Amino acid sequence: MTDKVARRGFLVGGLGGAALLAAAGCTSNEPSAAPSAGAAPAPAPSAGGNDQPGTKVTIGFSAPAADHGWIAAIAKNAEAAAKQYPDIDFKPVEPTNDINQQISAVESLVAAKVAALVILPNDGQQLNQVALQATQAGIPVVNLDRVFPDKLAYRTWIGGDNYGMGVAAGHYIGKKLKDKGVTNPVIVEIQGIATLPLTQDRSKGFADALKTYGFSVTAKQDAKFTVETGNQVATSLLQAHKKIDALWNHDDDQGIGVLAAIKEAGRKEFFMVGGAGSLNAMKEIQSGSSVLEATVTYSPTMASSAIKLARLIAQGKGMSDLVENQVPQSITLASETITKENVEKYLPLGFES
Amino acid sequence: MLVMRGIVKQFPGVRALDGVDLDVRAGEVHCLLGQNGAGKSTLIKVLAGAHRPDEGTIELNGVPAAPASPVDAIRLGIATIYQELDLVDGLTVADNIFLGHEHARLGFTDRRAANRAAGEVLARLGHPEIRPSAEVGRLPPAAKQIVSMARALSREARLIVMDEPSAALAHDEVANLFRIIRDLTARGVAVVYISHRMEEIREIGDRVTVLKDGRTIAVGLPARDTPTSEIVSLMTGRDVEYVFPPRASRPPGEEVLRVEGLSAPGAFAGVSFSVRAGEIVGLAGLVGSGRSEILEAVYGARRATGQVLVGGRQVRRAGLLQSVRRDGPLRALRRGGVVESVRLGMGLAPEERKAQALLLDQSVTANITLGGLSGFARLGWLDRARERAEATRLAEALDIRPRDPERPVKTLSGGNQQKAVLARWLLGGRRLLLLDEPTRGVDVGARAELYTVIRRLAEDGIGVLLVSSEVPEVLGLADRVLVLREGTVIHQGDARDLDEHRVLDMIMNGRAA
Amino acid sequence: MAEAGRTVAEAPVTTAAPRSFELRHLGLFVALALLVGVGLVTRPAAFATADNLVSILSLAATIGVITVGATFVIIGGGIDLSVGAVMALASVWATTVATQEFGPVVMAICAILVGTGAGLVSGLLVAYGRLVPFIATLAMLVAARGLAQRMSDRRTQLVRPDNQAIVDLATTRVLGVPLLVYVFALVVVLGWVLLNRTTFGRRTYAVGGNPEAARLAGIDVRRHTMLLYALSGLCCGIAAILIMARTTTGSSTHGDLYELDAIAAVIIGGTLLTGGRGTIVGSILGLLIFTIITNLFILNGLNTSDQLIAKGLIIVVAVLLQRRNLKERTP
Repeated sequence: MTDKVARRGFLVGGLGGAALLAAAGCTSNEPSAAPSAGAAPAPAPSAGGNDQPGTKVTIGFSAPAADHGWIAAIAKNAEAAAKQYPDIDFKPVEPTNDINQQISAVESLVAAKVAALVILPNDGQQLNQVALQATQAGIPVVNLDRVFPDKLAYRTWIGGDNYGMGVAAGHYIGKKLKDKGVTNPVIVEIQGIATLPLTQDRSKGFADALKTYGFSVTAKQDAKFTVETGNQVATSLLQAHKKIDALWNHDDDQGIGVLAAIKEAGRKEFFMVGGAGSLNAMKEIQSGSSVLEATVTYSPTMASSAIKLARLIAQGKGMSDLVENQVPQSITLASETITKENVEKYLPLGFES
Repeated sequence: MLVMRGIVKQFPGVRALDGVDLDVRAGEVHCLLGQNGAGKSTLIKVLAGAHRPDEGTIELNGVPAAPASPVDAIRLGIATIYQELDLVDGLTVADNIFLGHEHARLGFTDRRAANRAAGEVLARLGHPEIRPSAEVGRLPPAAKQIVSMARALSREARLIVMDEPSAALAHDEVANLFRIIRDLTARGVAVVYISHRMEEIREIGDRVTVLKDGRTIAVGLPARDTPTSEIVSLMTGRDVEYVFPPRASRPPGEEVLRVEGLSAPGAFAGVSFSVRAGEIVGLAGLVGSGRSEILEAVYGARRATGQVLVGGRQVRRAGLLQSVRRDGPLRALRRGGVVESVRLGMGLAPEERKAQALLLDQSVTANITLGGLSGFARLGWLDRARERAEATRLAEALDIRPRDPERPVKTLSGGNQQKAVLARWLLGGRRLLLLDEPTRGVDVGARAELYTVIRRLAEDGIGVLLVSSEVPEVLGLADRVLVLREGTVIHQGDARDLDEHRVLDMIMNGRAA
Repeated sequence: MAEAGRTVAEAPVTTAAPRSFELRHLGLFVALALLVGVGLVTRPAAFATADNLVSILSLAATIGVITVGATFVIIGGGIDLSVGAVMALASVWATTVATQEFGPVVMAICAILVGTGAGLVSGLLVAYGRLVPFIATLAMLVAARGLAQRMSDRRTQLVRPDNQAIVDLATTRVLGVPLLVYVFALVVVLGWVLLNRTTFGRRTYAVGGNPEAARLAGIDVRRHTMLLYALSGLCCGIAAILIMARTTTGSSTHGDLYELDAIAAVIIGGTLLTGGRGTIVGSILGLLIFTIITNLFILNGLNTSDQLIAKGLIIVVAVLLQRRNLKERTP
């Protein structure tokens, strides 16, 4: 089987028609995808409580197109969570990175009168209007991660804590350097896309946490969430700073490039903390031989939770572990720190970059 | 109404107009005659405000008026309809007619008003069937001509200059054109009419002015009564006497090119001739007579039907493609046509030297060796020393100056550039050279040199097919001459049996003498 | 007279080349020197080290290889917008599980074949399909990115540990310089030779400078045009190997906006966008200017927005300078 797939994937290597190409593209990754990411990270439904079947509800889902492992995991997790419930009719729309298209996609879901909507907007500001329309049409909106500025636009928000992520990384680095007794450490930060509010939140949390130890960031530079940009920025940063004590990289995806640059430069004198919690990063941490010692999570499991929340809202249920009759208005995930000690526990939740 | 006196226009190296007088009356059709290069085009550009004369006076209705720009000319009531129609293909008929003086209010065009006005003008021209909202690019040539004329009318022109307006028209369309012209003159508009067709001049013209070498030779001849022979005599016998090398002493050798029944729709039809080794065959004819097109078809750079045989070998077979589309032109000419021609020993020195032959930024060497690069290469690797040596040898043989083969070719004079193009085809044993206007833009001294070079090439056993718009050049240089008129060969024979007068007569009257 | 003619003819042959070389690239060298000066003043310790030089070259290598191909296409009168996407596609194809089975050599060959194949398709569209290069390669850009995303399922594909030989290109150093820099240098040298010493190169200038003249001189312009795009694709394939080595991955996000960087480098290097004139050396100098700017900005801790402004200014200034240079040389 492997041989056959491999041959096909390669044979087309010369030129080939589009159909063949697509076929090769689809099949060739199967062996690697199978063992690791098959099951979506969601605890098995427990007896009683929220997981008991209710009325059948249609849940619409709209998210950006995956050009990044994290976003890919979001879509995947959402779908897997929906599949767990026979009473959910999952209705995802074509993912897109175009604001306009996402607006019309959401409009089509509103027109289809779904019971609840889960939206991860490309941009909260720009999709606020259409989310508001959905809400006014009586469709509860679960806002995933990137927040709509207008609270009337959504029923419940669930997302990660960017500031908290920076804080977690800052505390890990600060504590470790303090314990070592380093004074005036060289701390380097590689950001994602600098213009995004989430990047600015992360950097602020990082700086604030470091301040409690009396440290500050020596240098920071922005990459673009891609392997290649991570690699380019890291290569030059390593030249700029001959001795580094600690490095925080905002994103594990671009982290692959950062690690490659570190390896190429043969640098080992510092330790590195990642961000998001990808499977690759966790494996590096697990190996114990990498400069990557820890990563702070910003877990795409939030998509699974969002689907679950949407189901409960649509069915008019509260969360069974809480006293309230309705689902809360806002849920912020805590950013957790994964190290060699606890990595086993997180491995199943790691997403493939 | 228009009086031009002693107009002089100097271009670098050339005195294009050397004292031209022109006298046009209101309501007449004034024909302007002269050979290629006599100064007709320059004169109408002066009238249109595109060139400013260096000397002389222009009076319009007794008032001194020298159009300083095209806009100025239009303001003075002078409209020009050029041979190459200056219409914007992407715009509508109405847009074109009112280009530059649009129906607009505060910058917004009033399309409806423009269309209505355009419709009126077109109706006046007898062509109400042309829709003002149609796109000009989709119209047939005759309709474009009408649009161009409508533009002139819409500007209330008092003087309309028409440069060979009938060249692109079919016979019945010419009749309509004449009807329009008569209508215009009846209303007092003056028309300056340029044409090579004697029969048209006789039909529509009132008076004739003849130009030669930038001077007025005759003013105000009656168009209907002056004998053709008199007009032709006035046009010929140019002042500049070219020095031609003596003709071949030996009889020509074997046939190197045979063309049979070569035709291309709209360009030429049923052309057959042959060229022998050591022979120079000249094609004489006006612009648009198909002479350059024949050359390109022989070279495989233009689609045509018929047979072209080089050195006894048939080049363009009626192969698969023709059997597929029996009715249409043979498409095989498109595929590798030129490559094959060059491989079989043909070379072309095209009409537009700068646009079609030279790499202006590149050195003389690179330009000379362009056609035969593989001769200096082994597995693609250039032997630059050998390339340079060979180019230097040829540059010396043809006396290309300055003697620096690394100099960019654009810094050379026209004559030396042309020599570089010729040198290109001396590489690798050419058997047939096609020369299109080889002396265009070349000064008199350099011409004589080029003639000598071309004759020497023939002496070396190369067949030469020569096209020139200058009849004396064809007659002086070629051994045999084909006279072309509107795409057909009307005469074929020994150059020594012809003179300029007879050839012009044939070209203008359309009959073999 | 013949004697005199000979000396005149031969004298410039030996001197003309270097003289025009210096003149042609003088502006670029000045710009480069200025940048180095800035580096020496602002961060003397970090900038002027052999290590930093090597990392600048490593950074330049991937785009550099692509720039060589782009130079050919642009001199030949075309443009290739698909370079970044084709490189991404090649990197993804070479890192699929299927291809990785066969080991590093096959991965490399796969990358090269995919690149060349995509280039060939663009070339066919331009030369025989009569599509405007801008449109044909824009279509290739979009399609190749899409196919790359499709194949990789939008994941970043790691080079497997048993195919480490690919990554070794970036990590193995000979005389203190990573192998991939040697690959880059080799491509530049081969590109230079191809452009300046072969019939292919000469014809490239002819086809770009005056396609009509080239056609009438018996050059198969269309075939040559097609080959130019295939060559560009080949360079993208090689670049894909280098990007896999540097990042240890194949990804559909690789090479984002490379087309603009490559075209900018070529233009700064004095190649006319209309074709017919240009040099490999100029393009590489242009690219190094860009890379050094990025390096300097990071060394000085400035952000990417300022880099973009600086790059934009450089493009305009370089082209203006060259135009002046050109005017002075043209009598």
